[in-house]
Amino acid sequence: MKKHVLTLATMFALTAAVSADTIKATVNGMVCGFCATAIEKTFKKQPEVSTVNVDLKDKLVTVTTKSGQTLDDSKVKKLLTNSGYSVASINRAK
Amino acid sequence: MKTKTLFTLITATILSLDLEAKPLSYVGGLMLMQENDETGHTFSFDYTFIPTNAFGFYAKQEENGKEIVMLTPEFNTLLKRWNLPDGQGNIFNMSGAGLARFHDNNQPCLWTAFLADYESRRWFLSYEPRFVWDGNIEKSVWQRARIGIAPYLANYNDLNTWIMFQVDHHPAKHDHFVATPLLRFFYKGYLFEIGYQSNQHIMVNWQIQF
Repeated sequence: MKKHVLTLATMFALTAAVSADTIKATVNGMVCGFCATAIEKTFKKQPEVSTVNVDLKDKLVTVTTKSGQTLDDSKVKKLLTNSGYSVASINRAK
Repeated sequence: MKTKTLFTLITATILSLDLEAKPLSYVGGLMLMQENDETGHTFSFDYTFIPTNAFGFYAKQEENGKEIVMLTPEFNTLLKRWNLPDGQGNIFNMSGAGLARFHDNNQPCLWTAFLADYESRRWFLSYEPRFVWDGNIEKSVWQRARIGIAPYLANYNDLNTWIMFQVDHHPAKHDHFVATPLLRFFYKGYLFEIGYQSNQHIMVNWQIQF
């Protein structure tokens, strides 16, 4: 029994370690194509980032990281600030 | 004749700048901007090295009066930005110092401009005063205001269209006030504008963000 629990715990830990993050940031000031291009290009330069999607209507930037990698909130905020915008909120999903 | 006209058009296309769009991009971003209108042809490129500053090159060939050529480095500063849930407001300063040439007369020159704008997905407003000192060739003050409306709300992957109206005030020029209805098109990092000016010039501007 102990062995099964250990196996399950190990599998869970390994799955968590290799899964990708989906980061959804609500961004203030993002109103035009140039805004979106700036954000897209800035995030795509990051080695951890797999995909970037910008939604002007919902003011949402969705970033998917590569398997086993992540971007912490402070880096997400810094990248959006460098693009010229500010963050209203950040939500994450595995 | 055709070659000369083609050369003039190519030169005009190369020598231009649109200062109505933002003079900064993102950190590490490069912008090429151009404007052809009743005042002449302007070209600039800039590189944004920190979120509030860009450095680049500015060239202007004036018409509608003296045919002055100005060549300067350009320094753009974001003085204030308001990032709002449904819009963005900015105050920028753009300045340059370099060389002005009129016939064989070379003079030092200085220029500075302020740009205040507000943009939402539906509305656009801007105001820009500009001050130019071309040594003993010319000293001028110029101001421009714009209002725009987007007839539909486009998303990032759509073509954005704006209907705009611009008024220029050039106290030193023949036509003190010039009105320009224009259309602006945006697609991702590409911007194109075309308008018809009240003194019968065609205005063509473009901007690319790399």
